[in-house]
Amino acid sequence: MISAIITIFAPIFGGFVYGIERIVRARMQSRMGPPLFQPFYDFFKLMDKRAIMIHSFHALMGIMYFIAEWFALAVLLLGNDLLIAVFFHVIAVLALVIGASSVRSSYSVLGALRELMHMISYEPMMVLMVVSFYLVVGSFDIKDVLHYSGYPILHLPLVFFAFLLTIPMLLQKSPFDIAEAHQEIVGGPEIEYSGPFYEALYTGKWIEYIYVFTFVFLFGGSHYWLGAILVIFSFLFVNLLDNSSARLDFRRMVKFAWAVLIPLAALNVILLALI
Amino acid sequence: MGFFSKFRKKSPWILHYNTGGCNGCDIEILATLAPKYDIERFGALNRGNPKQADILLVTGPVTKNCRDVLRRLYLEMPEPKVVVAMGACGHGGGVFRHLYNVENGVDNIIPVDVWIPGCAPNPRALIDGIVEAINIWEKKSKDKEYMKNHSKDMIKNLGVNDD
Repeated sequence: MISAIITIFAPIFGGFVYGIERIVRARMQSRMGPPLFQPFYDFFKLMDKRAIMIHSFHALMGIMYFIAEWFALAVLLLGNDLLIAVFFHVIAVLALVIGASSVRSSYSVLGALRELMHMISYEPMMVLMVVSFYLVVGSFDIKDVLHYSGYPILHLPLVFFAFLLTIPMLLQKSPFDIAEAHQEIVGGPEIEYSGPFYEALYTGKWIEYIYVFTFVFLFGGSHYWLGAILVIFSFLFVNLLDNSSARLDFRRMVKFAWAVLIPLAALNVILLALI
Repeated sequence: MGFFSKFRKKSPWILHYNTGGCNGCDIEILATLAPKYDIERFGALNRGNPKQADILLVTGPVTKNCRDVLRRLYLEMPEPKVVVAMGACGHGGGVFRHLYNVENGVDNIIPVDVWIPGCAPNPRALIDGIVEAINIWEKKSKDKEYMKNHSKDMIKNLGVNDD
């Protein structure tokens, strides 16, 4: 029931998460920050802009990103396979990449290529995380994970640590905001979207917040208080990292993911399988 | 004037472009974004992208190399949009007036809605100018901006004769 409500109102909850994040980020820089409803004000303002599109396929792929992102969240929350939810998320990112590489803007194409670099960095990590959930709980089903009476975080400390450092790649945060480098390639894949079509991408990002933090919540098992603590901790940690670090090169990101994070998670999975 | 127009004043997104000034105004703009004046508490963001911006904040006299870029930035912004010219250089060139490489001010290239005087303007003057720009912006419609109420010279400058 709760998961159905979260799925249906995912853009609204995600908007609040983004609003809280903007306030938290401003407070970390000792600023006042915008009001909590600021993402929704932006949303309504963008509704009122004149719709300019590059070509219809580009605009369609922007809307497709939003729909596929929401669908991936629905698959994740409404009691299905975790693995399938991870693969539906790939479809959302691919829609973004295809749309961004269909225009002639070089920043957009560069952003699309970097988005693919993001994908090869975090996707193996996500699959390893889901596999480690299977080894602990004995099922890919989210209901079994949420009814698991033990503490998955105690079995999977290294996987949790690796996923914590993967979140900046998923949510486009510093030091891994390489595809969406605002000072460098001015938003990357989203540069050519404007008005109502940019809105689809803007809202898709909010849904991505819910998607990512649901995975963090699963580390608490049936102990929802533990899951909530982990979500708040990872939210603050990611924002602190975002505020205190500079952007890395995409090679450094891929190297870091494949040389540090994935071996760590794999080590955890191997130890789990042996014991 | 629909339901959504009420929310315009809550999130003005600014595109800042320097057309060859001395960077004094740009430092004041950055000071406005910094903790002391923190313009983000009014929802204003500095977007580097004309397609997602609402207010075009231009500083500097328009040099001949910048002219086409400024025109394209203006035309790429979706309506409704407002242009704010900041600093003495934007008002007819300032100390650069009548130099061989200068177009003598922003309004020789694109139509300007709000002028912020000063060299360089105080951050408080900048915030005042943005508020004024929002008041003008709230009354604008979604129609194409350059098709209405402009003189023949302005339309020729913008290069939209055959649109």
